[in-house]
Amino acid sequence: MKKSILFLALVSVMGTSVAQKKKTTTSATISFDATTKLDALPKGENKTVVASLDTKKGTIAFESVVKSFSFSNPKMQEHFNGAMWMDSDKFPKATFKGTITNLADVKFATDGTYKANVSGDLTIHGVTKPVTTTATVVVSGKTVTTTSDFSIALADYGVNGPAIGAGKVATDPKITVVAEFK
Amino acid sequence: MSEVQRKRSPWIKRVLIAGVVLIIAGAVAVYFIFTEKFTDTSKREAAFTVNAMDFIREFQKSDSMANKKYAEQIITVRGRVSETEAADTTINIKMIDTATSAYIIFAFQQQHLTEAKQLKEGDSVSIKGSCSGGTYSDILETEFVTFKRCAITK
Repeated sequence: MKKSILFLALVSVMGTSVAQKKKTTTSATISFDATTKLDALPKGENKTVVASLDTKKGTIAFESVVKSFSFSNPKMQEHFNGAMWMDSDKFPKATFKGTITNLADVKFATDGTYKANVSGDLTIHGVTKPVTTTATVVVSGKTVTTTSDFSIALADYGVNGPAIGAGKVATDPKITVVAEFK
Repeated sequence: MSEVQRKRSPWIKRVLIAGVVLIIAGAVAVYFIFTEKFTDTSKREAAFTVNAMDFIREFQKSDSMANKKYAEQIITVRGRVSETEAADTTINIKMIDTATSAYIIFAFQQQHLTEAKQLKEGDSVSIKGSCSGGTYSDILETEFVTFKRCAITK
């Protein structure tokens, strides 16, 4: 009986410990800039991205509702969600699932700024492609802030609207991802 | 100039003038379409006014039906602030159904951020914004509904 109680207590403590390693936020931010010399409008931002970070396993994931991207111009937002670009009715979410490949270099228990190498699968417009990028990880107490800048080729994800061909939308927009985990 | 050419020239002139007028009108229309900005949401009329928890339950019941009804509409949501959450340099407000963890999250227009930052957990509030729709989160394993360009209407 004593052994059973001890075992259950151990399982409970271990469960709590593991759970604390996984941090989530519902307010990660993804911004993209597809502006060109011909058009300064194609840039938008989504501030309600769901993200998770497991500091023990080094796994990181993002989930973005495409229609949550906000633009300054109504017509640009309409084009972005339309069938010729992101087709958000058919492909409502963009996701990323990846891993920090140099986890030993990122000290989540010690305040500081670290460079993380991240590899994973990015799904946009229903197409999944492997992506490798770097992220800056800032640890301050229990708060971990991750920031990453990278570019993607829209053609790789089957996004080939006429505005891209006409040079009004960059073929390889810059993506910035910021997530603050507490 | 022949007699025939003299008769045609007024028509050519008219066609050219009409063409120039059309080009100018088109250019003006394109200019207005692509320089237009989203207006202040607080000045827009809401298509629906809903209670936060009823609204969440509608999405939980069928997010495809709820998305057809509410996505890209201006909606006023009445409820209590469950959480405030930093979003890069700004702030988001959440209303959470504690029974299921399903939630609504509001991102604010720049001109309404100061009011949003005043809100605290437990505050009763009306928020008007553009509904981006709802979906199931595979990460959080719950339903969530997102809003953009929000304003507080109180």
